[in-house]
Amino acid sequence: MMGNVLLVAKREFRQILALKSFWLTLLILPAALALGPIFTRTLGSAEATRVALVDLSGTDAAAEIEARFNEDADRETLRRLSRHSQRYDLDGVAPGAPWTQHDRWYTAEDIDAFRRAGGVEGAVEKLQSASPEGVPEFEPESPDYTFLAAGDELAALDREEFSNAAQALFEADSADAPEIIVRIGENYPADPRIDLYSANQPRPSFVATLQEVLTGDLRTRLLAQRGVSGADAAAIQGAVPAISVTTPPPGGGAREALLVRSIVPLALSYILMMSLMLSGSWMLQGSVEERSNKLLESLLACIRPEELMYGKLLGSLAVGLLMIAVWAACAAAAAFATQGTISDMIRPALEPVSSPGIIIAILYFFIAGYIGISAIFVAIGAMVDSMSEAQGYLMPVLLAILLPITFLLQAILAGKGGVMVDLLTWIPLWTPFAVLARLGMGIETWVLIGSGILLAIAIAVEMVFIGRLFRASLLSTGQKPTFRRVLERFRARPR
Amino acid sequence: MSVLEVSNLVKRFGDVLAVNDLSFEVAPGEIFGFLGGNGAGKTTTLRMVLDIIRPTSGSISVLGAAPDRRQSSAIGFLPEERGLYAAMSAIDTIIYFGRLKGMDTATARARGMQLLERFDLADRAKSEIGDMSKGMAQKVQLATSLVNQPELLMLDEPFSGLDPVNQGLLENEILRASQRGAAVIFSTHVMQHAERLCDRLLLLRKGRKRFEGTLEEARAQLPAHIAVVSNHKVTALPGVHSADPVGAPVDGWQEWQVELDPGVQPESVLEHCSTSGIALRRWNEHRASLHDIFVELVGGEGVEE
Repeated sequence: MMGNVLLVAKREFRQILALKSFWLTLLILPAALALGPIFTRTLGSAEATRVALVDLSGTDAAAEIEARFNEDADRETLRRLSRHSQRYDLDGVAPGAPWTQHDRWYTAEDIDAFRRAGGVEGAVEKLQSASPEGVPEFEPESPDYTFLAAGDELAALDREEFSNAAQALFEADSADAPEIIVRIGENYPADPRIDLYSANQPRPSFVATLQEVLTGDLRTRLLAQRGVSGADAAAIQGAVPAISVTTPPPGGGAREALLVRSIVPLALSYILMMSLMLSGSWMLQGSVEERSNKLLESLLACIRPEELMYGKLLGSLAVGLLMIAVWAACAAAAAFATQGTISDMIRPALEPVSSPGIIIAILYFFIAGYIGISAIFVAIGAMVDSMSEAQGYLMPVLLAILLPITFLLQAILAGKGGVMVDLLTWIPLWTPFAVLARLGMGIETWVLIGSGILLAIAIAVEMVFIGRLFRASLLSTGQKPTFRRVLERFRARPR
Repeated sequence: MSVLEVSNLVKRFGDVLAVNDLSFEVAPGEIFGFLGGNGAGKTTTLRMVLDIIRPTSGSISVLGAAPDRRQSSAIGFLPEERGLYAAMSAIDTIIYFGRLKGMDTATARARGMQLLERFDLADRAKSEIGDMSKGMAQKVQLATSLVNQPELLMLDEPFSGLDPVNQGLLENEILRASQRGAAVIFSTHVMQHAERLCDRLLLLRKGRKRFEGTLEEARAQLPAHIAVVSNHKVTALPGVHSADPVGAPVDGWQEWQVELDPGVQPESVLEHCSTSGIALRRWNEHRASLHDIFVELVGGEGVEE
């Protein structure tokens, strides 16, 4: 019997491998993953927004605004440097530098010290000279905003002309032209109106910061008008709490750690779903071809229907495993090619799936899931005479399988367990997906074993009934598989 | 020992009695015609012999054992509804079916190539079935049923869809298999092929056997018709069922259309005439064709001469 099953499986496997759609699909995922970051980088707005400040008031308001945005940019750089230093244990590179101090909100003094030490260039230089091999380079990000010198011609215009000139600049869409223009009127601070012209909707954070700087300036001036000395007014405005910030180390926070640990399990669950849908539909095409080409009788003269069914399942499983092997090989190649950048991310992600027991569990649920779900495709293939007829049965089945899995994956991504995740774990149709996806969150051993046993029993029962349906349906060409007829075939003994 | 023995076979599908108490045997080297109209139960019987479906009652013995796929290495089967994998090459298709019948790849390939050469398809061995004409694909399918040199070759309506040249090729293959010692069963609607090829025939009607035997024995089932010219009144002759005069007598000689009683041999009536001194100017026997026999026993529906 096994010989015939293997022969059928080999033929199914070779037939699917001969399909162009197989190779396209096989290569699309790695290509998409490789191109994704490139597109993201290309599409993402990496360039700083160009801002021009036109200060007609004669005050130092514009300078304060620019200084504040530069300070925020440096604070963000410090924060990123701090995470980098913490992740790769590089605090010893510059013990006194603010970015090797991780437990506080960086103050103006910290930023001054950072700038005095050479800013980001100085920090990168130190890191490069002392980072151990394999540690990726720190890549500074460009600031959100860059400030352009405002032209004198703009300053000479009245308010209405200014608005028209700003619009003309935006419409010209030049790479040197500002995207945001802030006009501080000649009567500021007596007239506190500030005109903001923007080529696009300005970010709320930009407006908030602008407002915060100018509010502080106005209040300082009001305090001075009320007799508070300039130094005291500045001190009042500058009084800020020293905020101590405690965050988990990179990858160490509960949420972040959960996400990292769930990457591989979720990917496994997703890959199982994808490869099942793909190989299942290819197998379905093969089954429909056997029926529509009327070669079933020739086959059944040589082999039992069960051998044909098991061969198809095995062939489909082999296709699925091949796809996963190729995708895993692509991931390994990417990890190798990027010299540790990806592997550094993958290492903690692989932790929850690296014990022998878990690997066995993954293989078990993967293979069981494949057989269990593929059998449904086999059953559909045995009942229909054409692909269009197959689609009619396929859509509800796919929705029934995929929708709960989508919710399941989202729930796990959100770090939520809950009744639905528990429930799906115990319903054999979704058990493989739920168990694989939950491996990162941690799943109790008894749940793992219990749901595995239940899944095995369900597949055994499924094989009996689908075997009957398969056998009874094979030679019933031209008969519409009504619900009643399907039930009859489920009950049909070999005849 | 018979290659195939079928005893009291009954198959019911719900209320429909598809095969009703059917018994027959086929010996090695025998070509056995399985004739019947549409829905007579031919395909159902062949499927039961192949163990694709199980009988309601009765027994089947193939090479001395109950039907089982383990005997597939000794059976060749060409179904009525034919088709192959469109994306597989001709030789791969033959090898695949050979392997399913327990052959090793090398033998299946060698025999497959021999068959393709015989069928004038050797140069298309690596062509995909989807690129072949229907006739070519049918010959490849015939090769899949012959590749294992079966002891029992079953062909369900093998001549349908074949042009006259390929029908001749198929007849040769049937004779070749028979000469090799294989028992060959084929069902057909085309009486010419059955008349030319079959050693014995089985006529089925609505699942029930109406006749089994040689062509001569089948002919004996129908009353003989003889055109006689005599100056004697032939209606009184022993064994004559009826005698109708044809035209008017000429100089006392009358032509008669004579029908004998069933089972009465024309030779015995002729002998009686001779010994009784009855003068005869003409004695033309009209032998019943298989078509006549089929129409008489089974009904005319779905039969081709």
